[in-house]
Amino acid sequence: MIRASQLSKHYHMGESVVRALDCVDLHIPHGQFVSIIGSSGSGKSTMMHIMGCLDRPTSGTVEIHGQTINSMSEKRMALLRNNEIGFVFQTFNLISRTSALDNVLVPLMYTRRSFSSKPAIEALDRVGLSKRAKHKPSEMSGGECQRVAIARAIVNKPKLLLADEPTGNLDTHTGTQIMNIVHELHEDGMTVVLVTHEMDIAVQAERMIEMKDGKIVADTAVDAARRAEILKLNQDAHQSLFRKKSLHPPSSKPLPPQMEAR
Amino acid sequence: MFHFQLIITAIRGLQQNLLRSILATIGVIIGVGAVVSAVSILQGAQRDVLDQFESLGADQLIIVDGKREHGGVTSSVQALVPDDAEKIQQENTELVLRVSPQYQGGGQIKYYQQNVNGFILGVTETYAPMNSYKVDTGRFISREDVRGSTMVTVLGYGVAQDLFGSLPPVGKNVKINGKSFIVIGVMEKKGTLGFLNVDEQAIIPLSTAMARMFGQKYLSMLNVQCTSAAAIPACLEGINQTLRVSHRIRSGTKDDFTIYTQEQMKQRFAQVAKIFGVVLYSIAGISLLVGAIGIMNIMLVSVTERTREIGVRLAVGARRFDILKQFLIEASIISLFGGALGVVAGWAMANFLGEFTQVIKTYTPPIIIVASLIMAIFVGVVSGIYPAIRAARLDPVQALRYE
Ligand SMILES: Nc1ncnc2c1ncn2[C@@H]1O[C@H](COP(=O)(O)OP(=O)(O)OP(=O)(O)O)[C@@H](O)[C@H]1O
Ligand SMILES: [Mg+2]
Repeated sequence: MIRASQLSKHYHMGESVVRALDCVDLHIPHGQFVSIIGSSGSGKSTMMHIMGCLDRPTSGTVEIHGQTINSMSEKRMALLRNNEIGFVFQTFNLISRTSALDNVLVPLMYTRRSFSSKPAIEALDRVGLSKRAKHKPSEMSGGECQRVAIARAIVNKPKLLLADEPTGNLDTHTGTQIMNIVHELHEDGMTVVLVTHEMDIAVQAERMIEMKDGKIVADTAVDAARRAEILKLNQDAHQSLFRKKSLHPPSSKPLPPQMEAR
Repeated sequence: MFHFQLIITAIRGLQQNLLRSILATIGVIIGVGAVVSAVSILQGAQRDVLDQFESLGADQLIIVDGKREHGGVTSSVQALVPDDAEKIQQENTELVLRVSPQYQGGGQIKYYQQNVNGFILGVTETYAPMNSYKVDTGRFISREDVRGSTMVTVLGYGVAQDLFGSLPPVGKNVKINGKSFIVIGVMEKKGTLGFLNVDEQAIIPLSTAMARMFGQKYLSMLNVQCTSAAAIPACLEGINQTLRVSHRIRSGTKDDFTIYTQEQMKQRFAQVAKIFGVVLYSIAGISLLVGAIGIMNIMLVSVTERTREIGVRLAVGARRFDILKQFLIEASIISLFGGALGVVAGWAMANFLGEFTQVIKTYTPPIIIVASLIMAIFVGVVSGIYPAIRAARLDPVQALRYE
C-alpha cells in the first residue's frame, strides 16, 4: 500500500525551479498493478525514486506499507529498500564483473538474516535462468539481463515491485517475456508500479496513470475484459514465437479500440 | 554484518582492474620493504657495535688524543707518551689495575715467499691479560722485551696460519716491514676485539714499534683497566690529575687528551646511530607515504568508475556504512597483502645486502614484522577512508543516473 499526499519534489537550477513533482496525491492499494505513462521529463522516475525510498520529497508525505518515510532515518530507508521494495531499471544495472548468481546475491548481503545463496538460486529459477547462473552480464542477451535484474529485485520477497521502463531497451518480443514475468509476480500478490512509454504495455496494468509536468493528469482503470484479452494475446504471441519460430509480434495485432482512441 | 561474502566482493572489485591493483600493491611492498630493511640494517649495526663495546669491559677506559678547536675546525693534539702509562699506574695504585699503552701501524709481514698485510701493534706485557687474550703456543711479550726493545713478535692466529700453514712458527724468523723478527708465540683465535680483527695483526714490543719500527714519539692510545666498574669515576678523576700534571697543563686550559668510558662510547655511537636512523627512516617513511598515495589514487578512480554499482547497491538496501566498509576492505586487502610481501621483500633485501657486502650485519626483530603489518593496515585504512567516504556519501539517485 502506497499513499502520497501533496507530494512535491523541486530542483533548484540557478534562478528557476524545476517542479519534477507538483502536489501529487496518490493511493495505490495493496496488490494493485499500476502503470505510469507520460512524456519525457514529466516526473515519472522522480515519483518512482520517492516511492522506492531512494529519494526524499521536498514537501508532502509518503507512506509505504504503513510507514511514513518523511521522518525515517537513512538506515530504516535502506532496510525498507532491502526488504519490501524491488527495483527494476531500464538499463538493467547489473554489476558487470560478476555472474548472474552473484548479482542476485547482492541484496542478500545487506539483509539482517544470516547469509545463504538459496533464495538467489530460487529467484533465478523463477525467471527461468537457473542454467545461466554462472554467466556474466556480457555473456547474456538484454532480455536475460533484465530477467536477472528481476530476480535480484525479488530475491528478498518484497511486497512492492517498482519497474522504471523495464522493457525500454528490449525488442517487443523480449519485452513480452519480461511482462509475462511481471504478470506472474502480480498474480502472486505483489504490488507492481511500472513506468512505460509503450501504450500496449501500459494497458496490461489494472490501472493507468498519466503524468504531465509533475502532476497526475489522468487516472483510469483498465477494463478487466480487455485486459484479459490482451494478456491472452501476449501469451499466444509468446508461444507462437517459441513453438513455430515464426515471428508474429503482438504489436502487429489490431489494438483494442480503447487504445486506438488515444 | 561481516561475513565472508564481503571479502569475496572486495577481492572481485580488485580483480576488475587487476593491473591497477597490482601496481598499488607494489607501492605498498616497496614502502613496507624499505621500512623493514632499514630497521634490519640499523638494528644489525647497533647490535654488532654494542657487542664490540661489551667486549671492551665496563671497567675499562680509553685515553686518546685531545681535541682542539681552532676557527671552527677540530684537530687532534698528540700528547700521550709511554711515560704517561707508568705515571698513571704508579700514582693511582688503589684505582688502576693495569695500563696498556698502544701504538698501531700497518705493514707487511713476510716469511720467505709468504707474505701478509696486517696491523702491527706495539704493546706492553699488560695487553694480553687486560683483554683476556691468551697465547696459543709460545709466550707473550714480556716486560724485558719492552725494556730492551727486542726484535720479537707474537703473531695473530690468522697471520700465523697464512704464513706458516701447518708448520710450527715459534722460533722462526719473519720480516716485518723489512726488519727481522723472531716469532716467540702465536695468539689464540679471537676474531674482533675493540673493532679490530686481532687475528690479522702482529704484536711487537711497544718500544720496538715506536723507536725502531715507526720512529714515533706519541702513542695511538692508552687502555686503562680500573679495579672495578664502580671505581670508574674516581679513576677518571685520578688519571685526569696525573696527565694534567705530567703534561704541564695550567689550570683553566683544556686537556690535551680525551678519556672515554664504555658508557660514553656507547652514547657517542648512539648519537651517530640516531643520525643514520633519521635519514634511513625518513627514506623508508617517504616510500610508505608514496605507497599510501598509490592506494588512495586507485581507490578514488575505482569509486568514480563504480558510481553506478554503488547506486545499485544502495538501491537494493545497502546502508552507507556497508559501502564505506566495502571500499575500506578493498584498501585494507591491498595494504595487508602488500605489507606481508613487503616484510618478506625487506627481510630478503637486508639479508642480500648483508651477504653481498659482508660488512652490513642485519637483524630483523620479530616485533617489526608485527609492527609492519599493523602499519600496513593503518596505511590502508587511512588512505582508503577518504575514497570510501566519497563512495558512501553518493546520492543513490544521482549514482544510478551516472554515465
Ligand atoms: N538532479 C536533478 N536536478 C535538476 N533537475 C532534475 C534532476 N533530476 C530530475 N530533474 C528534472 O525533473 C524532471 C523530471 O525528471 P524525471 O527523471 O522524473 O522524468 P521522467 O518522467 O522519468 O522522464 P523520462 O521519461 O525521460 O525518464 C525533469 O525535468 C528533469 O530534468
Ligand atoms: Mg525516467
